[in-house]
Amino acid sequence: MSGGVDSSVAAALLVQQGYEAIGVTLKLFCYGDEVPDRSCCSLDSIADAASVANNIGIPHYVLDFEDKFSEAVIQNFVSEYSLGRTPIPCVRCNSFTKFRDLLQHADELDCDYIATGHYAVTQDGALYRGIDPVKDQTYFLWGIDRSVVSRMLTPVGNLTKSETRTIARELGLVTANKQESVEICFVPNDDYISVLEQHLPSDAPALSVGPIVTTAGEVVGEHDGYARYTIGQRRGLPGGFSEAMYVISIVPEDHKVIVGTANELFGHRVELSELNWLSEPLEPNATCQVQVRYRSPSVPARVAEPRRTDTLALDLAQPVRAIAPGQSGVMYGERGKLLGGGVIR
Amino acid sequence: MDRLVYLDNAATTPVRPEVRAAIAPFLGDEGFGNPSSAHRFGRTARAAVEQARQQVASAMGANPRHVVFTSGGTEADNLALLGGALAARSRGAPFNVAVSAIEHKAVIDAAKAVAAMGGKATVLPVEGSGLVDSNAVAQALDSGVSVLSAMWVNNEFGVVQDVTALARMCQSTNTMFHTDAVQAVGKVPCSLDRAPGACLSISGHKIGGLKGCGALIVPRANIVAPLLHGGGQQRGVRPGTENVVGIVALGKAVELAVQELGATATHVAMLRDNLEHGLRQVLPQARVIGDSGSRAPHIAYISFPGVDSSTLLMHLDLAGICCSSGSACNTGTVTASHVSTAMRIPNDLAVSAVRFSFSKYNTEQEVRHVIEVLPPLVEKLTRA
Repeated sequence: MSGGVDSSVAAALLVQQGYEAIGVTLKLFCYGDEVPDRSCCSLDSIADAASVANNIGIPHYVLDFEDKFSEAVIQNFVSEYSLGRTPIPCVRCNSFTKFRDLLQHADELDCDYIATGHYAVTQDGALYRGIDPVKDQTYFLWGIDRSVVSRMLTPVGNLTKSETRTIARELGLVTANKQESVEICFVPNDDYISVLEQHLPSDAPALSVGPIVTTAGEVVGEHDGYARYTIGQRRGLPGGFSEAMYVISIVPEDHKVIVGTANELFGHRVELSELNWLSEPLEPNATCQVQVRYRSPSVPARVAEPRRTDTLALDLAQPVRAIAPGQSGVMYGERGKLLGGGVIR
Repeated sequence: MDRLVYLDNAATTPVRPEVRAAIAPFLGDEGFGNPSSAHRFGRTARAAVEQARQQVASAMGANPRHVVFTSGGTEADNLALLGGALAARSRGAPFNVAVSAIEHKAVIDAAKAVAAMGGKATVLPVEGSGLVDSNAVAQALDSGVSVLSAMWVNNEFGVVQDVTALARMCQSTNTMFHTDAVQAVGKVPCSLDRAPGACLSISGHKIGGLKGCGALIVPRANIVAPLLHGGGQQRGVRPGTENVVGIVALGKAVELAVQELGATATHVAMLRDNLEHGLRQVLPQARVIGDSGSRAPHIAYISFPGVDSSTLLMHLDLAGICCSSGSACNTGTVTASHVSTAMRIPNDLAVSAVRFSFSKYNTEQEVRHVIEVLPPLVEKLTRA
């Protein structure tokens, strides 16, 4: 229970459905100076979760996952940016923090299920896209252990966001009208650079000056840290070209940011590492739909030869714009069934 | 859940039935008056406040004029530390305070506030037993502090401070001595004749009174400056219309706590010993911590090595057993408390420790229930 509307309604629906539920809020990071002595009990989001739990008549606890979250999520977030990639911390939070570390607590409590406010549908041990296409969160769920899926409950997966809000209002939950959080939870004001600055030495290459180079090899300017760039970005690039220029790739070894035209942004292949399957692994030449960014449409793809156990190459049926290393490549089958995924390399 | 066992009485206590009876008239149609009003309603309320003041004074061995009602222990501590330091500054004495390292945050942070206002705050180290290092006290007094504070009974481990010695040391240098006696009242003999000249904080809700009301005993005029300013009530030291209901509850609760001290102390010590003994028999790895010095009878602090205390608390709560790890405000984080750190309790013991605190209402049967329920939970949660 994050203190947001989705997990609040999820909990309320479970209670309505007759489950014996235990509410848990994870304290994932230090919230900073506004909360003296880290007495998290005064935090608004935790207070909101506690209030909802009280309202629907279930116990509520705060678990301190700061160390676990830092190790599994924040450290990876920093190291991925150091390697010139654009990570998605929510994926690792789901894979490790929620559906592994929290699950351990659920096991200790002899809980049969682990329930969240994710917009995803579980059915017969498989995950499917949530009903609301705008809210569907399966893109972030590909990394969880396959055996966990049969223990997942996602009560809002069959709802649209507005239906969720309606239920929250009907139940009088304090979180009913809470604004959507679109930020990464541990990155205040979307300023991820300040998070990197806290964790990296001041002379880290990712935050240091380097050349901006065209795909033809011409140095056209300077940047003050390649971590400030992501594939497909226009902002922060020098002007004066005959056509609009975008970041095409990042070469961390040379501190280079490579820029090129819109056409050069398109790719025909994605290579995935850290593979995880939530169905039987796809064999070479098998087809699926692959999605390479949150909220971008999926495209048909075919598994390329040769097939290795830990990596996978997918040939795309149509070129896709701005395939960014560090983002997730998520494979879907019929009816939006989540087959698995990996980290784009 | 067939049974609820409340063993978190150092956090707060249920309101005593005698207290409920005593306050009932002041929740009714005749007892609502403002004690400062000249009419009959005012007089009724005034009489009740003054009776409570008398009850507190006689229980604590103080003069009624020296009882200042506050909104609770935190305000009493702040009034002593900040008010004492401000009064010192205005008479030209050092704007310096010294507090023990195992104080409640209300004292430690009030001392920090003095420092933030341009004064000085010294933290006095404690020995492993929790007793304040007397050399450090002597040094602080030599260097010229205006307020020295050491709590009578510590809220986490129940360490009983030698307040008599500290009060005498402070008297000899004409330093204001303050002791937070919130956990001491009704648990150990605790009155001004044992702490000559001391300022003393007490709180209602730890002894069956109401939350939101406590008192500071200020045995000399003008040694604390007011932190609040207003209508001149309580000689201007703590203005504001008196919390009549809370004050009546406090008076009754303190009176009963002190009357029953002997019986309560014997009873809770027996329960504590049963629990410690019983748990150690079934869980040989269980360690009673913070007990190397003199301790109050109502607190058992027991560590289960390898167990995350916050997880254990959750399991205990689900099993109907309510206790805590350290001070309640820190719950949710597994960092060792400043008290454990100051007493040099190893971190792995501190983060695995649970505080059980008793009241006169707990029973032997409840303790037996805990000894039955706890071991399987501890075994399940012990991680290599």
